[in-house]
Amino acid sequence: MGNLLEHMGVDRDRIHFSWISSAEATKFVDVVKEISEKVRALGPNKKFVKDYSK
Amino acid sequence: MTEKNIKIVSFLCNWCSYGAADLAGVSRMEYPADIRVIRIPCSGRMSPKFILSAFREGADAVWVSG
Amino acid sequence: MLTLSEVQNITGEKGNFQVEILKKPRYVREDRCIACGACTEKCPGKFEDGYNADLKTRTAIYVEYPQAVPLKYAINPAACLKLTKDKCGTCQEVCPADAIDYTMTEETVTIDAGSIILAPGFKPFDPSRFDNYQYSKFANVVTSMEFERMLSATGPTMGHVTTFPKVPANPKKKKDKLLAEKRKDPKKIAWFQCVGSRDVNKCDNPYCSSVCCMYAVKEAIIAKEHAGDGLDCSIFFMDMRTPGKEFEKYYQNAKDKHGINFIRSRVHSVVEDAETGDLHIQYADEMGQIIRETYDLIVLSVGLEISCETRAFAEKFNIDLTESGFAKTGSFEPVATSRDGIYVSGVFNNPKDIPESVLDASAAASAAGDALAEVRNTLTKEIPAVPETNVIGDRPSIGVFICDCGSNIAGVVDCPHVTEYAATLPYVTVAEETTYACSQDAQDKMVEIIKEKGLNRIVVAACTPKTHEPLFQETLKSAGLNKYLFEMTNIRNHNSWVHKNNPDIATEKAKDLVRMAVAKAGLAQPLKEEKIQVNASVMVVGGGLAGLTAARSLASQGYETHIIEKKDTLGGEALKLWKTAQGEDVQEHLSALIKEVQANDKIVVHTNTTLEGVDGFVGNFTSTLNTDGKTTELEHGLAVLATGAKALETTEYSLGQDERIIRTLDLDRLFRENDPKLDQVQSAVFIQCVGSREPERPYCSRVCCTHSVENATALKDKNPDMDVFILYRDIRTYGERELLYKKAREKGVIFIRYEVTDKPKVTVEKDFVAVTVKDHVLNQPVTIEADLVTLATALVPRKDERLANFFKVPLNDEGFFVEKHAKLGPAEFATDGVFVAGSGHYPKPVNEAITQGRAAASRALTLLAKKDSLFTSGTIASVDVQKCSACGVCVSICPYNAPSFMTEGRFEGKADINPVLCKGCGLCVASCRSGAIHLRGFDTNQIFSQIFALGETG
Repeated sequence: MGNLLEHMGVDRDRIHFSWISSAEATKFVDVVKEISEKVRALGPNKKFVKDYSK
Repeated sequence: MTEKNIKIVSFLCNWCSYGAADLAGVSRMEYPADIRVIRIPCSGRMSPKFILSAFREGADAVWVSG
Repeated sequence: MLTLSEVQNITGEKGNFQVEILKKPRYVREDRCIACGACTEKCPGKFEDGYNADLKTRTAIYVEYPQAVPLKYAINPAACLKLTKDKCGTCQEVCPADAIDYTMTEETVTIDAGSIILAPGFKPFDPSRFDNYQYSKFANVVTSMEFERMLSATGPTMGHVTTFPKVPANPKKKKDKLLAEKRKDPKKIAWFQCVGSRDVNKCDNPYCSSVCCMYAVKEAIIAKEHAGDGLDCSIFFMDMRTPGKEFEKYYQNAKDKHGINFIRSRVHSVVEDAETGDLHIQYADEMGQIIRETYDLIVLSVGLEISCETRAFAEKFNIDLTESGFAKTGSFEPVATSRDGIYVSGVFNNPKDIPESVLDASAAASAAGDALAEVRNTLTKEIPAVPETNVIGDRPSIGVFICDCGSNIAGVVDCPHVTEYAATLPYVTVAEETTYACSQDAQDKMVEIIKEKGLNRIVVAACTPKTHEPLFQETLKSAGLNKYLFEMTNIRNHNSWVHKNNPDIATEKAKDLVRMAVAKAGLAQPLKEEKIQVNASVMVVGGGLAGLTAARSLASQGYETHIIEKKDTLGGEALKLWKTAQGEDVQEHLSALIKEVQANDKIVVHTNTTLEGVDGFVGNFTSTLNTDGKTTELEHGLAVLATGAKALETTEYSLGQDERIIRTLDLDRLFRENDPKLDQVQSAVFIQCVGSREPERPYCSRVCCTHSVENATALKDKNPDMDVFILYRDIRTYGERELLYKKAREKGVIFIRYEVTDKPKVTVEKDFVAVTVKDHVLNQPVTIEADLVTLATALVPRKDERLANFFKVPLNDEGFFVEKHAKLGPAEFATDGVFVAGSGHYPKPVNEAITQGRAAASRALTLLAKKDSLFTSGTIASVDVQKCSACGVCVSICPYNAPSFMTEGRFEGKADINPVLCKGCGLCVASCRSGAIHLRGFDTNQIFSQIFALGETG
């Protein structure tokens, strides 16, 4: 999946897969923070977005 | 504000990560408000189509968690 | 459910008890408390947090722990300033639900009960009185319970293991501050086993607590996982007791993969370094050398004890106890106390781990239920159903309810604004804001609005669907709507609670979430839950102790039961046993049980019968039986697999070459028949772990240590001058079986430990059998001239792959059945309607086989009792046959075997999904190449609608 997106020009850091058990609230928060940081660093995604104005 | 512009479409398994998100709430842990949760019955329900479509609809990232 | 309650008195008898209960005040109304936690924020009262092993304090208004049931706050009257000094009252002021009531008082309630189950549990041993380990003085000596909390991510140290854990995290006292400054991440941690167990010198607990070896290994592994490989973990033990299922492998992994040190020694004393707080210890290793070491942290593996309160309680109500304070139960009625009609489960019924406690609980429920079988369902009431409105084809008319949850949501999210916004969304007819959507009045109002406005889809934006979806679905039902015309979105747990410092963003997020939910709800379809027809009869495979017990229990509840036995007689391996660990005669009890089963007209016994095939699924199995070559079909709703295990056939230690070398069961036979050969024996040797705990069979057979110790004692009783030796690796007489081990040593049985790398050697001589073993004390080989050598051979399962395939249940590497959940589902399979009992699950002694037999019956009964109201879920997958290409991907991918190819009709060859077996995971939907499978409630278009709804504003 990651490779496909990369092929299409979407950054690998924009797709995340994880496994968290229902008791792992701390891990959940850590993962959200991590993804959020990475994505913010990349800025908004512009590739592949449907343009409603067209 | 840059924060407003980020949207992470999150597909969370009802039994695992969705529960973890609930617990994070009960524990009042704070985290960035960028995620938008779509509850799915199991991560097996995921299909690449959903991920592509999320990007197409302007998601800045997609997160799938079992 | 009565919480904060104590039983004051029990009068009456089996079938008609009156129980007087003192209900202590909670000071919080359970019907109002919404567990928001606002009350704790400003509560000035503090007391020790027992859940966190007193490592931190909690407020006077508290909830025991986040998963508590009921999840309602309570006030500790001893710590509350309002209740003690009439000052404060803050919680009443801040409570948004008006749930605080300081005027509550104690009440006494009396309830009538036919049976009573006692499950008072245990208390961890308090090591304060052990002066040699200085638990109460040394800051870095902690109990295993304290360490357990330290490892927990939600514990007092947030999962961070540190020294000086008993000093508060943010110390206020000067002394504590000084200690807190010395805090460091430990580099070396030691566990001391058997603190408060197997000890009559320092305490009066001669028994083994059964669980400490395993939890110490677990704690060491987790500590290492947290801290990394730099952490050095050592466990000081006497015998390593890991006789549970998969436990031995866990222990071996701890040694080989995790690098945990296991040191066989009892440490004499601990000295503290006054400067650093480090702990110096001294111990003798196996060679007798004195070794000195320093550790940063020492964990005392405290045992399980029955509290004085429980003992006093038992005495008051005529429940006989053992000397150690556990309830006295027989091996053949392992959950029945000495008082008729009162049953027991958990550690009060001997020390035990989680799976055994769960089995005990199910078994006690079955025993309690058997006693009440005659009056079952005489007191149940039915709720009338409201007819359902047909909404198919109607334009969606959505009602959105936004919950404030008091200030929990409204305090952060601008709810009026979200409500206004919701009203503008497509198909939304009504958008309402409510203070508490879950309250009774809000629910009534919701029904009213649905009817008045003719709504046909409902969205609730509130807390989590995981707890509240069923409640709202009930509301829909009472308004005449199908319960699947509902969508819930989580603006509390996932929003207001976690973004409380960003109200604007939280409000925007809430709007997004509501928009997504509305989009999905618009596509919701009414779903049907189909009734599952359950054939109310059960097939029990295996006529041994476990199978017989299960059948007897099911039949006594009125269900037809068939026992399938391969041999011509009932009884199984138990026919070969002599006595139980408690000294009861096995044959006497077994023949009574067989007679009872044969006399019961609800039980059909099929001997000389094998199973040739099984078709169907829960509620509707058809099995093909072969009795002496004749084939018959049996229809049944459920199945219990109780196929047992048998003693290993081996040629190790010259077994089979000389009649003086026999197996444990052969010795039992000699005892049973009172064989004169036994009178001739002058020197007897038992060899343990024959075929167990070896690479080929890496599990412990659980029963052999107790069995050999018992037989060795019996030989000594027969002839006190006889030399009796037991050659062992670890003696695993868990629980009160430890007392047998103690007795054997007192009687002069000699125990010699050997290493698996240096096993005993057996050579047959003319006048004796020579057994050579390296003595662990002398470190020298010794040769025993024995005239009887008994081998404790491993118990091996039947490993019946065919049977496992019939029911689609898994076997582990060694051939034992794999249960649904190692801890919480020990008597059932993941396959619905199929249960497991006896040694086919794992080797077990008589009392445990009977407990599991009862537990399997109990689990089966939960299905049988509901047989008229058992429905499939609505959110399951279905196949569009027009699109199905019959590729078979769904058939092979489904973990529950729900899809199959149709074998007849117009659509022969196409896939069909059995609604009873489908769990609604959606794996098949995602894998279907033709897009032919739909998952109702989570259909592709519904998930797309959520994604699109998110894209709409951008």
